Amino acid sequence: MTVLKNIAAIAKGMSITFMEMFQPTQVENYPDGPGPLKGAKFQDRFRGVHVLQRDENGLEKCVACFLCAASCPSNCIYIEAAENTAEHRVSGAERYARVYNIDYNRCIFCGYCVEACPTDAITHGHGFEIASFNASGLVYRKEQMLAPQPAHMGANAVFNHAEVASGELGVR
Amino acid sequence: MADVNITVDGKKVAAPAGTLLIEACKSAGIEVPSFCYYPNLSLQGACRMCLVKVEKMPKLQTACTTVISEGMAVSTDTPEIHQARKSMVEMLLGNHPLDCPVCDAGGECELQDMTFAYGAAESKFIDIKNHREEQQWSPVVYFDRPRCILCYRCVRVCGEGMDVWALGVQNRGVSSVIAPNKEDHLECEECGMCIDICPVGALTSGAYRYKTRPWEMRHVGTTCTHCADGCKTTLGVRRSDTGMEIVRGDNRDKSGINGDFLCMKGRYAFDFANHEDRLTQPLIRKDGRLTPSTWEEAFELIGRRFKEIRDSAGGQAIGVVGSTRTTNEENYLLQKFARVALGTNNIDHHRTADFPALAAALRGKPEATASMRDVFKAPAMLLIGNNPTEQHPLLAWQIRNNVRLHKARLYVINSEPVKLRRQAVNFIQIPVGSEGNVARFLSGDDSAAGSISNPTATRDAWVALRDKLRGEQNLVIIFGSEIRGEDIASLVKFGSAVPSAKFVCLSDYANSRGAADMGLYPDLLPGYHPMSDAGKWRDEWGGVPQTPGLTLPQMVESAKAGNLKAFYVVGANPVGRLGIDAFSFSQRFVVVQDMFLTETALIADVVLPAANAYEKSGTVTNTCGDVQFLQKAGEITGAKSDFEMTVRIADAMGFDVSKLVPFSRGTHSDMGQSRGAQSGEVDRHGVWLEAQGLEPKMSPFDPTAILDEIQRLVPGYGVSRANLLAGNDQHTTLSGSGAGVQHDPALIAPANDTLFTSGTLGRYSRALNSVMENRQKQPAEEVAAD
Repeated sequence: MTVLKNIAAIAKGMSITFMEMFQPTQVENYPDGPGPLKGAKFQDRFRGVHVLQRDENGLEKCVACFLCAASCPSNCIYIEAAENTAEHRVSGAERYARVYNIDYNRCIFCGYCVEACPTDAITHGHGFEIASFNASGLVYRKEQMLAPQPAHMGANAVFNHAEVASGELGVR
Repeated sequence: MADVNITVDGKKVAAPAGTLLIEACKSAGIEVPSFCYYPNLSLQGACRMCLVKVEKMPKLQTACTTVISEGMAVSTDTPEIHQARKSMVEMLLGNHPLDCPVCDAGGECELQDMTFAYGAAESKFIDIKNHREEQQWSPVVYFDRPRCILCYRCVRVCGEGMDVWALGVQNRGVSSVIAPNKEDHLECEECGMCIDICPVGALTSGAYRYKTRPWEMRHVGTTCTHCADGCKTTLGVRRSDTGMEIVRGDNRDKSGINGDFLCMKGRYAFDFANHEDRLTQPLIRKDGRLTPSTWEEAFELIGRRFKEIRDSAGGQAIGVVGSTRTTNEENYLLQKFARVALGTNNIDHHRTADFPALAAALRGKPEATASMRDVFKAPAMLLIGNNPTEQHPLLAWQIRNNVRLHKARLYVINSEPVKLRRQAVNFIQIPVGSEGNVARFLSGDDSAAGSISNPTATRDAWVALRDKLRGEQNLVIIFGSEIRGEDIASLVKFGSAVPSAKFVCLSDYANSRGAADMGLYPDLLPGYHPMSDAGKWRDEWGGVPQTPGLTLPQMVESAKAGNLKAFYVVGANPVGRLGIDAFSFSQRFVVVQDMFLTETALIADVVLPAANAYEKSGTVTNTCGDVQFLQKAGEITGAKSDFEMTVRIADAMGFDVSKLVPFSRGTHSDMGQSRGAQSGEVDRHGVWLEAQGLEPKMSPFDPTAILDEIQRLVPGYGVSRANLLAGNDQHTTLSGSGAGVQHDPALIAPANDTLFTSGTLGRYSRALNSVMENRQKQPAEEVAAD
C-alpha cells in the first residue's frame, strides 16, 4: 500500500510540473529586455535605491533633521548638517545636509527613513542593480542619490535611479 | 519646623511648611508639568501648565505658586486637568512655528514633550502666524521670536541668577516679546544660561547652530578645563574623520558643583580642541627647522639626550616645568619622573596662588577649607581681593545666589569696585596692593589700619567691620592671590578667632590646585612635604634627591649660565605667559609637550602633540580643593596624553617604568583611556575581558595606578573612589599636609584672565575670540547700573 501511495504522490506532483510546462511564460525578459530597466518591471511601491527629492524651485528638500538616521534600524545613514546662507542656498529651510551618505552594505530597505522624513525629501526609487565587488563603493553619497535639477520648474517627478544613471532623464 | 502633611493623588506626602505644591509633588515622584517654573528662580505663574485640582478650591490652581497647607488634598491628573493642559499647549502652538526638523532644540524641547504628552494635534486657530525673522543678539546667542512661549525663564535667570539684567520684556499681552538690553544685540557676560534654560528653541547657541541633533551625540559629563572653579560640563561628541569631535558644551547634567550654572568658557570654549592649528605629529628640529617625524624617533631622541645629560652633568642640569591644566595623575607622575628618573628637584609650574602658605597655616586644622558647595550654604562670606565675576564665574554665582536665596551676608574688600559689591552688605575699597595690610589688620595688628583707612572707610569703620566679622558663625573667607606668604598666616590667625571659619584660596587655572597638591615645587613633595620630611616617599620610590631644586626663574638663570642643559616643559607656556627670555635656552635641549606651537614650543628641539583635558581621563582639583573626575570626551588622531608621553620618555631612557607607574598593584580597573573607540565609557568590555580571564591588567599608561598611589600617599586625597568615579565632587582638606615652606611671593604670577580669556588656550578658541572682537566693536559698560 505504501508503495502505491508514494507512486500516487509522485504522479500528482509531476502532473503539476508537466501542466506548468505548457502554460505561457510569466518570467520577465530581464536583463535582455529593452530600455534602461532591461525589461525589469516594478510595482510602484517597490523600495529601491533612495532618491533625494528637490522642491519646485529645484532646492533640496532635505533639511538635515536627522530623523531618517534616527529611525534607521541598521544605522546606515550618515549626515552632516550645515547652514544655508543667502549666497549659498541649498535647501528651502535654514539648514541643509552638507553630507548625506547611505551605506548600502547595511541598508535593509525597510522604508522607515521615508516614513520618518518630515519634508518628503527621501523616497525610495526603483534602482536595484547595486551589487558590487567593492564594498566601499556601496556607500552612496548625496550626489549619487539626488534627483537631478528639474528640466522645467514645477515638475517634481519621482525619478528612477536607473533611468537617471543611463542619462535618459533629467538635464543638469 | 514640623512637616505639613498633604495628599497627592491619594499618596500621603510630608514636606516642610512653605514648600511649593509643585516641589512637594516632585518629592513624592509625581511630575507636574510646567514651563515657567524653575527651581530657585522667582515665581512667575505665566504658563499655566502646572494647573492641579485642590479640593475645596473652586478653580484649578497653579501648583508652582501654591504653598502647601495642612490636610490639602490634591489631584494632579484628572480629565479636567488634562483638558486644561491640552488647551494650554494648543494655545502655545497657536503661534509656534512647526519647524521642529530644523530647530536646534528638537529632541530636547519641553514643548515637544508636552505636545506628545497632552497632544493637541489639531489646531482650531486659523489665523496667520505672526512670523518674525530670527535675530542674532551676540556671536553666541540667537533669538527666534515666534518660537518663544514667554515663560520668562531667561529674563529671570539673567537678572536674578547672573545679576546681569540684559534681557527684558517689551509690550504687553500677546505682543509681549523678549528683548535684549541694547536694541538689537546683547551686552552681557555671554554665559548662555538663557539658552540652557529656554524650554524651547527660541534662544539657541551660535556655537552649536545647526551642527547636529541631540540624539546623534554621545553626552559626556566632564570637568571644564578653563578656570579653577571646576564646573561640570556636558560635552556632546560625534564621530569625525579625526576621532571624536566635540560639537557642543552645555549643562544638561545638573549634578555638578555648578548646579544650573555654566559660563561662557565652559559652554562654548571647547572649540580649541578642533582648531586646525592642533599638532598631530611629533616635531623634531633638524637643520634648525621643526620637522614632522615619528613618535619612535622622538622618544628615542629625548630618551637618549636626557640620559646623556643626566649621566654626564647630573640631574640638576635638567629642568622640568609642569602644567596647571593636566590631571593630578599626570602632575604626580611628572614630579615623580623628575625626582626618580631624572634625579632632579628642578621642577616648577606657573604659580597663581600661594597654596604652600595656606597648607602650612591650616596644618592640623580639620574642616578649615570650604568646598564650592559650602560657599552656597555659608551664612556669611568675606571676599578679599580677586574679581570672581571675571575670574571665578562659578564662585561668583555661588556667592550671589547664596545672598539671594539664603540671605547670606557678604563682605567685600577690594581695590576695584567689583561687581559683587552689589550683593555685599559692606564693601570697602582699598588702595591697590594693600590686601596684605587688611589681613594683618584683621588678625589684630592695629598698626596696619593706617594704610587702608580713608575718608569713606575710617579706622573706626574698619574696627567695627572686624568686630562684626568676629561675631559671624561659619564665615567663609575667600581671598585672591593678592594675599600671599605671611599674610595668609595672618588671615588664618584671624579666622581661628571666628567660630568654624573656612577658607578658599583662589588660583587661576583648572588644575592649579592639583599642580600644587601634587608637588610641582622644587622644594616640596606632594602634599606640601618639605624635602626634610621625605620619609614615606623615599620608602615608596626608593630614593629622592635631597637638595631643593631650582625655581623657574632660577632655571632660566642657570640655563643662561650654561649649567642647565635640558628643559622639559609639559603643557605650559612659560615663554609666552611669564615673559621668559627665549634666548636663555638657545643652546639647550628643550622638549615641549603641547597642543599648539606656542611661544615655548617654537624654541623647542622636540615638540610632542598632547591631548587636552577633554581627551583623557583622570582627576582634577579645583581651587577649593574639590577633586573631580575627567571623562574622556573628544579624541584627535595623532595626539597622546601627557601621561603616556612621560612614561614613554622614561622607557626610552632605559628606566624601569614599573618603578614609575605601579601598574601591577592596586585596583584593577581601567579608566577607559587605553581602549580606543569605546573609551571614556564605563569600561563595559573590561568586565567581559575579566570574566574571560583576558583582562590585560593595567598598562603602564593607566592613570588609575598613579591615582592609587596619590590616594595612598597624598594627605587629604583619601576620598571615596566610588564617588569619584561616579562623577561626584569630593572635597580634600589641607589639615594633614606637610609643613610647607615659605616661598618668595614674587614667584606668583596671576593669570589675570577675564570671562573671555583663558591663558594660552583661550587664543585658540574661536568662540572666545569672536566675542572679544564683538566687544571691541561695541565696548561694553557694566551691565545694569546699580
